[in-house]
Amino acid sequence: MIDITNVSKSYGPKVAVQDLSLHIPDGELFAFLGPNGAGKTTTIKMLCGLLFPTTGSVRVGGFDLRTHGDQARALVSYVPDQPFLYEKLTGREFLQFTADLYAMPREKAAEKIDEVIELFHLDEFVDDLTERYSHGMRQRTVFASALVHDPKLLIADEPTVGLDPKSIRELKTLLRKLADGGTTVFLSTHTLDIAQELADRIGIIDRGRLLGCGTMTDLRKHAAMDGNLEELFLKITEEPAVEVPV
Amino acid sequence: MTTTLPVADQASTFRQLRARLLRNGLRVALEHSRTRLVTMLGTSAFVFGFTFAVGMYLFNQLAKTNVPFKGGIVEGLFDLMFFTLGTMLVFSTGLILYASLFTSPEARYLLCSPARADRIFATKFQAAVAFSSWGFVVLGIPIFLAYGIVSGVPWYFYALLPAYLLGYVLLPGSFSAALCLLLVRYMPRNRRQFLVVVALIAAAVLGFWLYKVGMGLKRSAATGGREIDDLIGQFDLFRSGFAPSHWMTRGVMAAARDDLTGALIPLAQVWSNGLLMYVLAAWVAKRVYRTAYDRIAGGGRGKKIYKTSWLDRVMEGMVFYLDRRTRTLVVKDFRTFRRDPTQWAVLILFALLMMLGASNFRQYYSAGLAVMDKYAVSLMNLCGTAILLCAGLSRFMFPLISLEGRKFWILGLTPVSRDQLLWGKFVFATTGALVIAETLILVSDVLIGLPWEGIVLHAAVMAVVAVGLSGLNVGLGAYLPNFKETDPSKIVVGFGGTVNMVVGLGFLVIVIGTMAVPMHTAQLAKAASVAAGGSDAINPWVYVGVPVGLVVGALAVVLPLRAGARSLRAMEF
Repeated sequence: MIDITNVSKSYGPKVAVQDLSLHIPDGELFAFLGPNGAGKTTTIKMLCGLLFPTTGSVRVGGFDLRTHGDQARALVSYVPDQPFLYEKLTGREFLQFTADLYAMPREKAAEKIDEVIELFHLDEFVDDLTERYSHGMRQRTVFASALVHDPKLLIADEPTVGLDPKSIRELKTLLRKLADGGTTVFLSTHTLDIAQELADRIGIIDRGRLLGCGTMTDLRKHAAMDGNLEELFLKITEEPAVEVPV
Repeated sequence: MTTTLPVADQASTFRQLRARLLRNGLRVALEHSRTRLVTMLGTSAFVFGFTFAVGMYLFNQLAKTNVPFKGGIVEGLFDLMFFTLGTMLVFSTGLILYASLFTSPEARYLLCSPARADRIFATKFQAAVAFSSWGFVVLGIPIFLAYGIVSGVPWYFYALLPAYLLGYVLLPGSFSAALCLLLVRYMPRNRRQFLVVVALIAAAVLGFWLYKVGMGLKRSAATGGREIDDLIGQFDLFRSGFAPSHWMTRGVMAAARDDLTGALIPLAQVWSNGLLMYVLAAWVAKRVYRTAYDRIAGGGRGKKIYKTSWLDRVMEGMVFYLDRRTRTLVVKDFRTFRRDPTQWAVLILFALLMMLGASNFRQYYSAGLAVMDKYAVSLMNLCGTAILLCAGLSRFMFPLISLEGRKFWILGLTPVSRDQLLWGKFVFATTGALVIAETLILVSDVLIGLPWEGIVLHAAVMAVVAVGLSGLNVGLGAYLPNFKETDPSKIVVGFGGTVNMVVGLGFLVIVIGTMAVPMHTAQLAKAASVAAGGSDAINPWVYVGVPVGLVVGALAVVLPLRAGARSLRAMEF
């Protein structure tokens, strides 16, 4: 589903991502970890087609984001850490807008809207204007809209921020279920427990370079130590950034 | 490769989105923000009415001097007006579009969706043009209504007017949109240097042109209007057949002369060129919008190191009488203010325009040309400065407490009392307002050559306005805070901000009306009386409003600050 090949991205003189290559197959739940400013969000923005790589290529579902961006973006849903909603739309209207934007047939859209409303327990407030929503309500609505069109790739940046423990539990179950159903999930998070519990593979990026990538066993082998993800993460990121075969 | 998904009818999707946003926005405004809605409509109606009244007066003056209404002089005036409004539209649409295409969260959201770049552009363009042309319609329609009524035009002149104005909005708007996209996409990496060079060239060209216009005007006035070729020559550029402003003039004048064919051809010219330019801009958007966004997001800037400035020390020196903690708060607010150019750029622009106007007036005055009376001009300057101060303080001082509210716990944990906090903001607002307003009014009055008693009175009025408005803004800001909002511009247009603005404008009307207007009216009457061979005495009763203004000023400080302090003390964090 995702093919990132030798991608670098510079912001003026600053190199945010350096020679990144990553292949993520359909139905994988991939957790992307790294300290602040490591290059996670830049990578995500390139996957969404918001930014273009300075060198290299990013392909989603076989479509190059630079040359076939519209087709690629039709397969993707992005849940940012700071969700955007139209303040003067109700949650339901926002879901309908998303369904229309992704060219869903009316009947199917109506069905899916009801389904995600139930899934994310939006029924109590879905007909209120979103300007009155709390952060948690906004986050749930954005997730609902991200899933309303059955994306092939779901990208989530810090998805658990602002959610209560019960919602976090439900979200974790949902993400796993989505991946098991064939949707690729690309998860960027600082919550290492979630990554360790959910991810099929984990990528660790620091100062723009991918330092390690693989299952927990691969990472333990790479770090040459046993332990949980927190210990591995600290060990891998404390080393100077050197190129590591992926 | 995955199969291509069905293509959405994005035009219809965005149409529905806009309709829903408008409907819901209106419903909310009617249910919860009636004050704001009424203020907006009331202000627009006031501006409309005022422009209409001024238009009627000026066109009637033209009628008295037997200037042909459908001839060359009025045509020249319309050319100038359309050119000016078109230029303003280019700038305002460009600025709004830049913000909405490149910095808004909505643009970021849509760019991550399958929405096509030209479709996003189209929806943003329509919103920007609607927003920026609001003033154009509110100013343009009353002027032409007044013209039509005074000069006597056929019925279809009025019917065609909206079509002309709407069509004209498209052309500068689309031009500005395409320019904005191309500039962002292809501007050299060193943006600041490039913009400074462009601004300097533009300022030099404009300065030279204004100088030529000034010289032409002076020559024309010196010869009693006989030699106006020089002056008219300066406007050749926008009177040529290639200038869209001239198409508008030609069409409007033809409609006024009852020449329907002559009116419709320029109308078609305006619309067809406007639509073509729009299609061109949409094509440019399709080609470059996404890469332009990438370029601006990935432009990168050198790491800027912020240091203390001598200006901070000047500010601290100006509030030397405060205790150290309050001084620290004042300097903190000042530092925030000076580091945001959008906050003071408008002030500088206004000040320069005012000085330019005043210095021109001085030239005419010293040449013995009573083009306009100095008392009328200085009263306009006084009102302009007061309104600028009212708008500036409402925009920058009123939201200060609301913005502190989000990090109120920081201040709540410091050993600074809440009264001190409020007092510090009041002193900051008053110091800045006094320095800016007094400088502007004194310099412009001296340039105009106003007698000393007028200058003293203006200084007093400005002091009352500056101190009173500071008290109102800081006090009401604490009394009607909005802690939910992080964007100051949204705090300003909320309920509290609207109340503050209305009260502030009311305050200005009372203070200027009681303290300054009687003296100016008396001076104008005196000039008329002297010209007619009458008395040149001024009744001392014209100054009786001064103590009234002082009392109103004191109330504007004490009452809101007391209410604000009470509200702030009761606040939990």
